Amino acid sequence: MSQENRPGRPPGRPPESGAARLSRTEAGLRGPFLCFFTSAVLWLVVASVLALVAAVKLHRPGFLGECELTTYGRVVAAARDTFVYGWGFNALFAVNFWIMAQLGRFEFRNGWLATLGGATWNLALTYGIVQILRGQLGGFSLLDLPREVGPVLLVAFLLSALWAVVTYARRPSGQNFVSQWYVVGATFALPLVYLLAQLMVLWFPTVGTVQALAHAWFVQNLLFLWFGASALAAAYYFIPKILGRPLGHYYLAPVGFWTLFLFAGLAAPAALLGAPLPIWIQSVGVVASVLSIVPIVVTGINFYATLSVDAGWARAWNSTTLRFVAVGVVSFTLFGVLNAVFSTRDLSAVLAFTSFAEGQRQLLVYGASSMILFGASYFILPRLTGSLWPSAKLVHLHFWTAFLGLLVGVAAALIGGWQAGHQLADPAVSAAQVAANAAPWALAGSLAALFLLVGHVAFAINAFGMILASTTPTSEGRHD
Amino acid sequence: MKNLNLILAGVFGCVASVWVGLLVTAQVQLGSLGRAPAEEGGPLFPAREPGLAIQGRAVYLDLGCVACHTQQVRPAGQGSDIARGYGVRASVARDYVLQPQVLLGQRRVGPDLANFGARAKSDAELAAFLTAPAAGVNHPPYAFLTAERSAALVAYLKSLRQDYSSPEAKLKQ
Repeated sequence: MSQENRPGRPPGRPPESGAARLSRTEAGLRGPFLCFFTSAVLWLVVASVLALVAAVKLHRPGFLGECELTTYGRVVAAARDTFVYGWGFNALFAVNFWIMAQLGRFEFRNGWLATLGGATWNLALTYGIVQILRGQLGGFSLLDLPREVGPVLLVAFLLSALWAVVTYARRPSGQNFVSQWYVVGATFALPLVYLLAQLMVLWFPTVGTVQALAHAWFVQNLLFLWFGASALAAAYYFIPKILGRPLGHYYLAPVGFWTLFLFAGLAAPAALLGAPLPIWIQSVGVVASVLSIVPIVVTGINFYATLSVDAGWARAWNSTTLRFVAVGVVSFTLFGVLNAVFSTRDLSAVLAFTSFAEGQRQLLVYGASSMILFGASYFILPRLTGSLWPSAKLVHLHFWTAFLGLLVGVAAALIGGWQAGHQLADPAVSAAQVAANAAPWALAGSLAALFLLVGHVAFAINAFGMILASTTPTSEGRHD
Repeated sequence: MKNLNLILAGVFGCVASVWVGLLVTAQVQLGSLGRAPAEEGGPLFPAREPGLAIQGRAVYLDLGCVACHTQQVRPAGQGSDIARGYGVRASVARDYVLQPQVLLGQRRVGPDLANFGARAKSDAELAAFLTAPAAGVNHPPYAFLTAERSAALVAYLKSLRQDYSSPEAKLKQ
């Protein structure tokens, strides 16, 4: 049995093989990758603690209530931003970078620039999170960092992420694969969208509710075109690579790519149904949301056709990396279906302003993107550090707590949101009664946050143990 | 799809066309909205916020109240906001034209506040609720609020009103 396929044992070069040897491609990546990755894991643990505090405050409002730093609004914003900008962005920088360099066989020689970008990003984010907890937060989720942080993050993003485009433009191999399109597209679209959203919402605010539309457009693009597209890039890379077979129905992949990029932003107004905006804008959002099922179907066909032959699912289950990635692609499909179905006007009217949308978002950001990032970490880190993961038990603990946390958290948000939505639709049920009925689901949300915290701590212990135990690899002797 | 320029141009086209089609068009349509009377010669609405309410808006933002409260009343048939007493009419775009930062919100853990000023209790009762809500009420106690900040927050909450007629949303007589 190959090491990759051994149950519970994530990949890594065996210790008896002597000093770790990196390919030239990997040697250039090691520094920036580890900079992004270690930052990502630290932010993940911080975000998990904040998310647990926020989850508890939802059903026990008095918890830590005597301290202004920990009002629910501040903690939930800090938790969301540390998770998205701290864990998500850093981990995606690292994984995108690695995928692009591997596929293009690109020898990276200017790692210090990417590392500088990473350091700038994390310093600016630390300042922003501290300011949020001190009360300097805006009214728009995911754009609630102080506005002076925005330009710094934009420059840091360009320094950190645009190397992915450079590796594609200057790849010596000329190789072309669907993962590269997604990374290039995500890396190009995000700064454009971020810049425009910053200008329209924070620096030169548009009049009235156009701000809300610009914000919805930004969030939709951030989730679909950065988190979604980058996660898809990794799934497209790891599934065929580890299973050792070509991607099923590859010819459909361009359809998925272009429809995702076209419909993602157009679907933004679906989140604002019933808001004081022109009806035609809301209708466009609903139509585009339903049409967003096209890339979901296409990516599903690609992934499931690859996984469904020659005992692919069983092999995926026995590979640590693919186990996480498989959960990620199933979550992505489920998210896409829910997004298309529940964007329709009647259902949206009932479920608006409940936890239902939060459950959908968790499916994408945690279920799809984070699970795929975890899987990618289990594949990449042993290759860059030359070590094995220190503890297989911690790997198991990480997977099961992350999976259970995802399952319980999403189920609680969706079912709790469904119940609250139907009760809110009935004026005879008082708001206090609705809140009381939602308490068990909020409690389940706390349990899910606890599961995730345990899993993330296990992941962090394992990852840092591995990095600290790593030898100084050499690039001599290996060529791609 | 081997051509980088093709991918970049295509992605730029997707993002830019949506930005122009949705956001720029919305700005063209709504950007010139201003205060207006419901009938010719009548008072202009929405009313300007008093100074204390402007300070209270900052407190509202500082505390992160927008995480649990929305400020938008949906039309009848799109939820039960009006039947529930959150407002007497649906919110319209003109209601928000004076707000430097529009706080529509995304989650209702607590009630909608778009028209809270029209149904609010007295200042003293509201201040007491904010600093020490009754047991069993699903609202955090903000005992740390100073009297000045509490008064400003109360003034802001009481300034939130959408109970006037506007050209797009006339109140039934």
